[in-house]
Amino acid sequence: MSTIAPEIYAAADRNAPAPQEPPFGVNEMRLTGRQWIATIIIFVAFAIIAPRAWNHFEPFHPGRDYRMPYVLSKDYWLFERRLQNISDQRQIPLLGDSVIWGEYVRPEGTLSHFLNEQTNQPDRFLNCGVNGMFPLALEGLVRNYGKSLHDRKIILQYNMLWMTSPRADLSEPKPQSFNHSRLVPQFWPRIPSYDADFSERISATLDHHVQLYAWSLHLQNAYYDQRSMPEWTLKEDESDPPRLPNAWRSPLAPFKDGIPTEPPIDPERGPTSRRHKPWNADGAEPTQFEWVDLDHSLQWQAFQRLVDLLRNRGNDVLVIVGPLNEHMIETTQRPQYEQMRTAIGTWLRAQGVATILPPTLPSPMYADTSHPLTQGYDRLAKDLLAEEAFAQWSR
Amino acid sequence: MLFFKWEFLVFMAVVLPGFYALRRTRFWIPWLLAASYIFYARWNPYYLLLVIYSTALDYLLVTLMDHCPRTRGISPPPGLAREARHAEDDLQSKLGLSRNPGEDSQRRLLPYTNEARDSVLNGALLISLGLAATLIGGAAFGPSSLRPTFIVFSVLVLLMALGAWQASRRVWLFISIVNNLTLLLFFKYARFVEQNLNQLFASLHASFRLHDPSSLMPHGFAYLLPVGISFFTFQSMSYTIDFYLAKVARERNILRFATFVCFFPQLMAGPIERARQMLPQFQQAPPFRLQNLTDGASLFLGGLFKKVAIANYLGIYVERVYGTPTNYSAPTLALATVAFAWQIYADFSGYTDMARGLARMMGFHLVINFNHPYLSSGLGEFWTRWHISLSTWFRDYLYIPLGGNRRGTLATYRNLLIVFVVSGIWHGAAWTYVIWGLLHAIGIMLTRELERSQFYRERIPKIAKQIGVFAFVCFAWIFFRASSLSDAGLIIGRIFSSLWTSPQVPALMLAIILAVWLYQWMCESGLRQMLRFGPLRVAIAASMMIYLSLCATGGGAFIYFQF
Repeated sequence: MSTIAPEIYAAADRNAPAPQEPPFGVNEMRLTGRQWIATIIIFVAFAIIAPRAWNHFEPFHPGRDYRMPYVLSKDYWLFERRLQNISDQRQIPLLGDSVIWGEYVRPEGTLSHFLNEQTNQPDRFLNCGVNGMFPLALEGLVRNYGKSLHDRKIILQYNMLWMTSPRADLSEPKPQSFNHSRLVPQFWPRIPSYDADFSERISATLDHHVQLYAWSLHLQNAYYDQRSMPEWTLKEDESDPPRLPNAWRSPLAPFKDGIPTEPPIDPERGPTSRRHKPWNADGAEPTQFEWVDLDHSLQWQAFQRLVDLLRNRGNDVLVIVGPLNEHMIETTQRPQYEQMRTAIGTWLRAQGVATILPPTLPSPMYADTSHPLTQGYDRLAKDLLAEEAFAQWSR
Repeated sequence: MLFFKWEFLVFMAVVLPGFYALRRTRFWIPWLLAASYIFYARWNPYYLLLVIYSTALDYLLVTLMDHCPRTRGISPPPGLAREARHAEDDLQSKLGLSRNPGEDSQRRLLPYTNEARDSVLNGALLISLGLAATLIGGAAFGPSSLRPTFIVFSVLVLLMALGAWQASRRVWLFISIVNNLTLLLFFKYARFVEQNLNQLFASLHASFRLHDPSSLMPHGFAYLLPVGISFFTFQSMSYTIDFYLAKVARERNILRFATFVCFFPQLMAGPIERARQMLPQFQQAPPFRLQNLTDGASLFLGGLFKKVAIANYLGIYVERVYGTPTNYSAPTLALATVAFAWQIYADFSGYTDMARGLARMMGFHLVINFNHPYLSSGLGEFWTRWHISLSTWFRDYLYIPLGGNRRGTLATYRNLLIVFVVSGIWHGAAWTYVIWGLLHAIGIMLTRELERSQFYRERIPKIAKQIGVFAFVCFAWIFFRASSLSDAGLIIGRIFSSLWTSPQVPALMLAIILAVWLYQWMCESGLRQMLRFGPLRVAIAASMMIYLSLCATGGGAFIYFQF
């Protein structure tokens, strides 16, 4: 019953003349094998040379009390440069989250500033904190962009804030968006709160391993308002209806301004800012926290790996656990908190890591659950310097 | 899984070597099929069932059609029957087969008797009747959420029983067309129809209301538009129609047929391939050729650049302006429309280039779908350059069966109107698409008339015609892009009435559009030779790769995925 047998195709292959080459397309972007090789060589050469050349020619001089400007918090390429710039072996970088960075204070109100001031050794303690950081991300930051940190003294801060709830610990199964998500482990260990798709995870991994991508993000962060150059041309201003101030600006124009620095006047930070006030100034009360068990805390596990990583690179690490605002913890929860804090100290000391559990600061010196105000940092620096362990370690 | 995402690169890093490794075995077709199904299932695993269902049914229908005599019962219209016979003979001769024409025509014209009744058809009849009884029982006594599904399938199976009883090729063809169109209508247009009818009922103060189509879904299944449904149903349907017209041989291997229906590079947004172009390519694994790899990579790079560097960038601007048209004055709205014209071109032709490139890397050839449409000097020409696979599909399966241009001017224009309105509806369930199709139909009629005049043909410079066509196409795009008819009206109103203040448009955008236009113009001019200069090609390709690394603009799925 079949009208045409399927074998006809085979027959056609045998009998029909050689088929005509189907058309390639309508343009002339048709590269031969050799042309592809040349293209790939050019591209790879660019990918290798351009970031290095840029590193060489782009002016970057972090001065006294330098900290990564808030707008460059995600410029990991610059963070790497910052660490590479630390040439003096006596200098001690302070690594940590916004507590080290100084969320509510000016650069001259940070812990590193007061440590320098109180030891009378300018630029010995360097603020290498990054705003919005947390142990899971800090681990990624140091692993991928902190390779120049080896065989030196490092102060590492552990903020127990990240264990105050499953949400803060990122162990809550409900997906959430959070800062520095591209730094957290993308595939393993699994982070329940992180639900990026596969492509995003690969892209994040590539950022860490291909300098070209990290450099490209640096250009975006430092010059194009955290967006790609084409998107920068479409950035709207505040007017109504909005206008496009960059529409006719040369894409090279932002390079003239150089890498952004700390703004001379920051309405959000410093003793004169409206945010710079004690945590309970607006009537906030102590809170019940949903503490995450040490054994199950992803943030604590990441911090443990981070300590191992730094020590494996030959660093002499001192860990500061705190300063959490204990005044914010409900009295009934204090024993649990103390128990966890002691356990953290015990584990660190068992590893041979110099550890300081500084006493809690007076309540008015805290701006929130973990960030001190300017006078809090001053006091914290004094407390640290008073510790025998610190004196011995920093000698 | 989008072509420009890393996930797809990983997918290809597995599929491509696997394909090459299996090329000499009989597993290469199952490998391609599995890859295609995995690719589709990444969107929505449930809708993979729809693809499999559509494939299996069309395969079965063609098999049953193949067991029916060519002349039986309700004979096809004389034109179609003659076309079918000629096409079959033509196919036979093209394929180098010698058959006895006398014997063949005898067989064709042999009256179909009960004695000669095919056992397959008998089996199909019995199974259909049994299945119909079961489904009707299910509809009567089964769970209420499954009742609509049971009813629909009962009707389908009863039709199949009729086909088997009549041993009629036309009934099988009818079932295939109805089934494919029903899938399309239900998933793509049901809500549109329901909303419009309910509005009508409300305006007539009728208390009757249609239920939302999602209420007809079997429980647990969401009512979503399956990605690529317009493409794979058209592709599958073309196979049954072509087989009916004897333009293509029956594909006996279901895996091969399934691979044809859902070949992953072109599954989501075409090009809509024909069975006679693709199935022969799936008969034997293509030999490995380095040129296929380099050509495929070239096509892919061009497509990737179009999508990521051009379409996504223009898309941000267009989205912003079309999102709040009242915020913008005439020049900005006009330029946003021009930007959309290039966005949709770069988006869709970029997808096609990538699809063609991926297929080419494996040694398969997909048809060219775009040919510098914005250089057209006539609207008719535009449609031979824009979405060519769809235009030719409508030409072959709608325009020509309607009579094409053989029955006088009025009938031709009626046919054009039908084709373009259907084409508009094919793009989406909204009145804006209908108007878009209607505009193109009217435009083609007008330009056909214009082209009859010697003055227009010979005295109007080509560039003026090109600009005119582009302006008209852009005007029609307003309806295509606007979120509603009122928005389209507002945009047109503002373009022609608001102040011509300084436009808010980035210089980079204009430069990109100009560069693409210039490149295309060079491709079609005597300067094309220059573009063949090897170092220039290398420089362009390397620049594209560097630009993509540094300046890629994030964006969502391809525009045509929604169709």
